[in-house]
Amino acid sequence: MIDLPTTTELVKGRSLWSDGIRRLRKRGFAKVCFVIVLLYFALAGLIFLDGVFQWDIPLFDWQETVGPSYQKPWIQYEWTPEGQELSETGWTIFGTDFLGQSTFRKMLYGAKTSITVALFASVISLLIGVPMGAIAGYFRGWADDVIVWLYTTIGTIPGIVLIMAFAVVLRTQTFFGIEIKGITAVYVALGLTSWVGICRLIRGEIIKRKESEYVLAARAMGCSGGRIIFLHLLPNVFHIIIINFSLRFVGFIHAEVILSFLGLGETDKPSWGAMIDAARTELARNVWWEMVAATVAIFFISLALNIFGDALRDCLDPKLRTD
Amino acid sequence: MPAICILLLLISGCSKKDDDGKSGEMVLRYSLISKVTNIDPGNIQDVYGSQLVSQICESLYTYHYLKRPFEIIPCLAADMPVISEDKLTYTISIKKGVFFHNNPCFPDGKGRELKAQDFVFAFKRIANVKYASVNWGGLKDYIVGLNEFREYTKQFKKEYDVDYSYDVEGLQALDDYTFQIKLAKPWPQLINDLTGVVTAPVAKEVVDYYKIDAPVHPIGTGPFKLKTWQRGIYIELERNEHYRDDFYPTEGELSDIENGYLEDAGKQMPFVDRVIYRVIEEYQPAWLLFLRGEFDRLYIPKDNFDSAVDIVSKAPKEFMKDRNIEVTIKDQPSLYYLGFNMKDPVLGNNKPLRKAISFAVNREQINELMYNNRWRIAHSLVHPLLDGYNPELAELNYMAYDLSKAKELLREAEKIHGGSIPPLKIGWPGSDPFSRQFAQLIQRQIEKAGIKIEINYLDWPTYVDMMNKGQHQIFGSGVRFSSPDPLSVFSMFPTKYFAPMGNSFFYSNPEYDALYERAEVMFPSPERAELFHKMEKMVLEDYPAVFTTQRVQYNLHHEWYDNYKPHPFLYSHVKYIRIDSEKQRAYKELLKELKKKDQ
Amino acid sequence: MTAYIIRRLLYLIPIVMGVLLVTFCLFTLVGGDISQQIAGKNADAETIAEIRHEYGFDKPLFLAWDSQFLAHFKKAFTFNFGRALDREKIGEKIFRGVGPSLALTVPMFFGTLVISISFALIVAFLRGTVWDHIIVFLCVAGMSIPYLSFIIFGQYYFAYKLDWFPIFYDPSRPIYLSIILPALIGIVAGLGSNLRFYRTIMLDEVRSDYVRTAFAKGLTARKVLFKHVLKNAMIPIVTNTVLSIPYLILGSLLLERFFGIPGLGYLMIEAINARDFFVLNAMTFIMALLIAFFTLVTDVCYAWVDPRVKFD
Repeated sequence: MIDLPTTTELVKGRSLWSDGIRRLRKRGFAKVCFVIVLLYFALAGLIFLDGVFQWDIPLFDWQETVGPSYQKPWIQYEWTPEGQELSETGWTIFGTDFLGQSTFRKMLYGAKTSITVALFASVISLLIGVPMGAIAGYFRGWADDVIVWLYTTIGTIPGIVLIMAFAVVLRTQTFFGIEIKGITAVYVALGLTSWVGICRLIRGEIIKRKESEYVLAARAMGCSGGRIIFLHLLPNVFHIIIINFSLRFVGFIHAEVILSFLGLGETDKPSWGAMIDAARTELARNVWWEMVAATVAIFFISLALNIFGDALRDCLDPKLRTD
Repeated sequence: MPAICILLLLISGCSKKDDDGKSGEMVLRYSLISKVTNIDPGNIQDVYGSQLVSQICESLYTYHYLKRPFEIIPCLAADMPVISEDKLTYTISIKKGVFFHNNPCFPDGKGRELKAQDFVFAFKRIANVKYASVNWGGLKDYIVGLNEFREYTKQFKKEYDVDYSYDVEGLQALDDYTFQIKLAKPWPQLINDLTGVVTAPVAKEVVDYYKIDAPVHPIGTGPFKLKTWQRGIYIELERNEHYRDDFYPTEGELSDIENGYLEDAGKQMPFVDRVIYRVIEEYQPAWLLFLRGEFDRLYIPKDNFDSAVDIVSKAPKEFMKDRNIEVTIKDQPSLYYLGFNMKDPVLGNNKPLRKAISFAVNREQINELMYNNRWRIAHSLVHPLLDGYNPELAELNYMAYDLSKAKELLREAEKIHGGSIPPLKIGWPGSDPFSRQFAQLIQRQIEKAGIKIEINYLDWPTYVDMMNKGQHQIFGSGVRFSSPDPLSVFSMFPTKYFAPMGNSFFYSNPEYDALYERAEVMFPSPERAELFHKMEKMVLEDYPAVFTTQRVQYNLHHEWYDNYKPHPFLYSHVKYIRIDSEKQRAYKELLKELKKKDQ
Repeated sequence: MTAYIIRRLLYLIPIVMGVLLVTFCLFTLVGGDISQQIAGKNADAETIAEIRHEYGFDKPLFLAWDSQFLAHFKKAFTFNFGRALDREKIGEKIFRGVGPSLALTVPMFFGTLVISISFALIVAFLRGTVWDHIIVFLCVAGMSIPYLSFIIFGQYYFAYKLDWFPIFYDPSRPIYLSIILPALIGIVAGLGSNLRFYRTIMLDEVRSDYVRTAFAKGLTARKVLFKHVLKNAMIPIVTNTVLSIPYLILGSLLLERFFGIPGLGYLMIEAINARDFFVLNAMTFIMALLIAFFTLVTDVCYAWVDPRVKFD
């Protein structure tokens, strides 16, 4: 039997978003990836809330000593906690680190660190890139010249050099009473250096759409430039922002690892970068689990985000290519 | 693909040729864990620089290589100094027939004979304000007329513009072979400082010739001269062809004969022809290269220690024995601590709080987890190998670990503070995995007592900067003592030495200061020892720091590395070392055999 | 054409100025006076004042003939960056690092290029099949593993465990021995994203009309791929190569550090650890200059190759 579409549906048409989501739904694998990403975010959110409201969920208490130093994973072991007489038995999925802390819990906590870095860096870069791109594209003229000049300049400096320079310089500085250190320096540096791509993209899109009928109509009705940009143009390029965001996110997670290695990353709390970095010396005593745990954690979120981002791009805007 | 191969060939063509050198040449190969940043004798501050430059430049005095307790003997000086009645004038005669290394800066490129003037020049250079020597603090106020010379140099533009003919009364070359130092106040430690490479003679020709590049041309009278200096990664020394007569010591401790340290007695040194230093900043590559026989000696990285040495018997494990690798232990007079900033409003006026933190730190656990139990736990400020060590202090348990007492003290501290103690910040140098683990451990231990701790990981320059400005609340630190005289321990606490000088705690105690003033000018005597004991207790009572550990260094060396007897103060040990080339060659075969056995 | 090139060259001026402005803000305004750091642990006030004077920290920031701002520009335009904190000339330091960096990155780059293009051609041929999906998935999977994990694992397993390669750069041996392993690790780690990139380029070409025509003419798949597709895809490939040159010079930060190759990446890490803003400043400027220049070269080449690009 064939379902004949009713006439009302044909007339109604579909918006870009519902169309895109409909297409996305057809991709089973992308759905799985989306769920994985959601899980990571949920985990990070939960750890954040746990910290704020002090629920003391045992699984997130990464500081607890759960076994002897460098206990192998997946093995039942016996140990005597400090200050106690009796020995206990224990078991961990990913073993323990040198202080006897659970690697698994550290891995979970790392999700919060990484997602915080990536999220804040993305937000900073979008907050800078999107309005600047829109202003440059819409008003052209000298504003365009200045903004194009600015992003060409920033784009001319190799990204890694710029990020490191920012991170080094910002560290231990205080701005407006806020001390920038550790993780803050990381995402501020990442955010301040990575807005160029999105800015360029948005500018191009706005230039393309500037002369379309709905903008002309709005202008004819006497809307101000700002109103047109924020109420009419930006919502129409929003999918580009979303796509860019999802793909950029992965880059930030990986950047955190490299910055950690350089000693510019999170220091007080567990992070995936620090865990991988620890393997530099620990591998000598065959302690491989910390590195593997962190690598696995990064692997799945990157894979999921990459595939989901690609799918999102294909579905929302098949012509667009960000790489 | 062929393109890549050609490229590889091209690149290999450009790179330096493989220079294994002549056969039968004795080559020593060391690894350094940190980059050597400074090889200018007058500006050296760190251990790595001293280790390297001490092979190139010699000083007036040195330590006897074998004798214990440590004995100072003449090196470039012909004899021990003649000290005047008032202890203010030192007259030192200098060995004749000692020549500087051959170098283009001398006429005809031939090294000139060493003269007393070269010592005068070296001292003045350190005082030269334009030279900005890090070691000026050690000379300041001691030598008659040297402070004035420093004032005088301020008018010049560059270091090498300064007119060194300006006369300094306290530094005189009475003739070519007699050097005289006049002091403004007694300085009993002068003789110790004259063993250091900082006071090595410098030929004025070097500075005049190389000008701004003089700092990378250390030219001395030592057994080796600098051949290659690839900044940061590769340093090569070669034997000084016209080195003076210098013979291997003929006497030592009783056990030295048994241990084979006297087999080369009376022979001309140095024994090896070349010395290679490679800087490898990661532990693991250095370790593997050592096992392959590409380094002769190595410190043992933390994560490899358990597989190398049995800590109870202090003997190498089977794996090492199979490879004929031997262990040496160097007890290094040093002191590691968590310093408190006494200017800090929370810590400074709250002794119970500082005491609580000290009681919360489990030094045994630090030693176990961070140092494989190889270090010493500090019981006193003065290391047992220094003069004036007070063994009674061990029983007074200033460095005890007692969590319940810490908690008790914390309650007292909270009363003084008027509320709960805010989180305390520890400034920590370095953020590599080891530093991070160490800091985490400390944080854990103190937090167990109920005190919140934040760790602030800093790169070295920022850390030092903050320390000098007194911006740390608590800081992880340590010192290594470079002479057996304990005064340097006590110079860490007087008010007049506030950071950037030695007193980074900003510890200030008038009573202590008064005693220090007295002890400072005293030559070793029971009276001085008495004073030191009093001062040591005073500091321990006040808890300006959590004193934790003292370094004991375990080194491994291959069996062909002969004559190595660790000495905590002597850096110029390379000339004493001999390489048994036959054993060295046999090692490759041994490794092959062992590999076969494994399979 | 000449007018176009001149105009592009003129456009370089504001860019270079912009870069200098950024580096000034970073390293002088925010980074600030590092004389105390230079002076070291036990320096007295006099010595610090001396160092401040020597490095010019005591000069006014703006609005003076000898201001730090003007000095910053003067340094850059004369390429006289002065001395690093270890008193070596910065120019020499950087120049010395170029060779080792290129020795590592050039084989790495061409290795990746050759492998990923050959695979991309195959994938383009197989598009839509299961194999295509598998390869794309593997690419994404490869991209998802952190670079650091690749290096740590590669060095540990192939150099320590299996002992196939030297662990660390040895200056007394030919350099190619020391770069084989890092180059291989670099190729493997970078393969995923590169293969995906070239696959997209190839697919673009394969989908175009001329390919359909060629197939319609009855040409074999092989002929179409190598004679037409590859030839047309050469433009983006060459562009990409030219644009990569500055990054090749910059070297690979992590690989150089782990394998002790004394290139520019290593220099960079060293400068960061020592907070040597002079070196960082010089390197940032030189790299930016190179990138600006090679971007210009590609643009001009584009204009030259493709008649559709207008010169106004």
